[in-house]
Amino acid sequence: MDLDLTSITDNWRYLANGLGLTLLLSLATVAGSLVVGGAVGLARCYGPAWLRWPLVFYIDSMRAIPVLVVLVWSYFALPIVTGWSLPPFWAAFVALTLHIAAYVAEIVRAGITSIRPGQTRAALALGMSRRQAVIQIVLPQTIIRMLPAFGSIISIAIKDTAIAAVIAVPEYMKQSETVAGQTFRPIEVFTCAMLVYFLILFPVTRLIDMAYLRVAHLGRS
Amino acid sequence: MNLDWSVVWQYRGALAEGALMTVVLSLATMVVAIPGGILLALMRLSRSRIASTASACFVEFFRNLPILLLVYWAYYVMPVALDLRLSGFVTGLVALSLNVSAYNAETFRAGIGSLRKGQMEAAMALGMSRWQAMREVILPQASRRVLPVLASTWVSLFKDTSLVSVIAVGELAYTAMRIRSQTFRVLEMLTAMAAIYWALGYPQAKLTDWLNRRFGVTE
Repeated sequence: MDLDLTSITDNWRYLANGLGLTLLLSLATVAGSLVVGGAVGLARCYGPAWLRWPLVFYIDSMRAIPVLVVLVWSYFALPIVTGWSLPPFWAAFVALTLHIAAYVAEIVRAGITSIRPGQTRAALALGMSRRQAVIQIVLPQTIIRMLPAFGSIISIAIKDTAIAAVIAVPEYMKQSETVAGQTFRPIEVFTCAMLVYFLILFPVTRLIDMAYLRVAHLGRS
Repeated sequence: MNLDWSVVWQYRGALAEGALMTVVLSLATMVVAIPGGILLALMRLSRSRIASTASACFVEFFRNLPILLLVYWAYYVMPVALDLRLSGFVTGLVALSLNVSAYNAETFRAGIGSLRKGQMEAAMALGMSRWQAMREVILPQASRRVLPVLASTWVSLFKDTSLVSVIAVGELAYTAMRIRSQTFRVLEMLTAMAAIYWALGYPQAKLTDWLNRRFGVTE
């Protein structure tokens, strides 16, 4: 078996563009799902009772349906229902955000319930409003405790962006497929892709873990 | 917009076969990945520096790769690199097993690590060998703690089998998308696919929650 790396070096710009889009889509997805998931998680814990079961239904449904199915549905079926079609990148953003936000919501809820109820009661006894107790006592500790889980959310988001290749978003996975197909060099191209994904994901998970170890003491109570 | 839902009923046989394939592939992957995970965890915890480093590298590598890429790699690269001819099913099985074994290894390692050191020491003080103590004292207790995590991994795996559709393994996602392109009933087929996954996955997710409440360790 002879290796020929020219398939990669000749197309490096094409692959680099894909990598850029992978990072952009990951960043957008993480940001989007933190916002949506944070809101859903908070609404589930502190929101009105009637809102609770639709939110639980949404979260559990996303835990049950593969992200590929959500992605394909929002790209191919959503335009038929709503009449307007999303470009691949935005369809991927919507689908990934919807999917990952459900996990973020679960993490937020787990974080909030991990803070002993006595703390909220103590805050209320000191004359704080419920809102003050949540913002000043519960959430600051919750956020620190959620850090390791957020680390895995970032890693999951980056990994899941690869699935966007299925709806032809020109991100790194898709570009690798194209290059592999055109140069007939799948071995070099896909092995290179493995190294690239690993080199992005491994430091990210490690950095979050290290950051957590430095601030973990702030989350103890 | 005219919809014709009868297409779903018309293709019920194919969809049922696809769903069965999804279940079989998930089961087969777990059958490989549980022993694989135990083996990797024991290697990681063994006193041999080589075994533990090899296991750590394997786990970190395969945990940090998109499954879709693993599937492509197993499909295009593995047959050439290892000179093997594998069916699509086995290729998918290999890709999923590599990923799930890595996750299971971490699960088992955490499960074993959650038991106090005194247990191992007590077992060895009673004259058991390291291996006996592991098999008769540590693993039975660790397995109880590991169960809820394994259940979560199972639910993820069940969903991730859909990625094998890109190499034309006839599981649920592939079958539904094939029927979609044959009949042009896009909305109906894709919604049916989502609904079938939901119907299969929802009870599993709920069961996982129950296992977590029943066996989960809270500090």
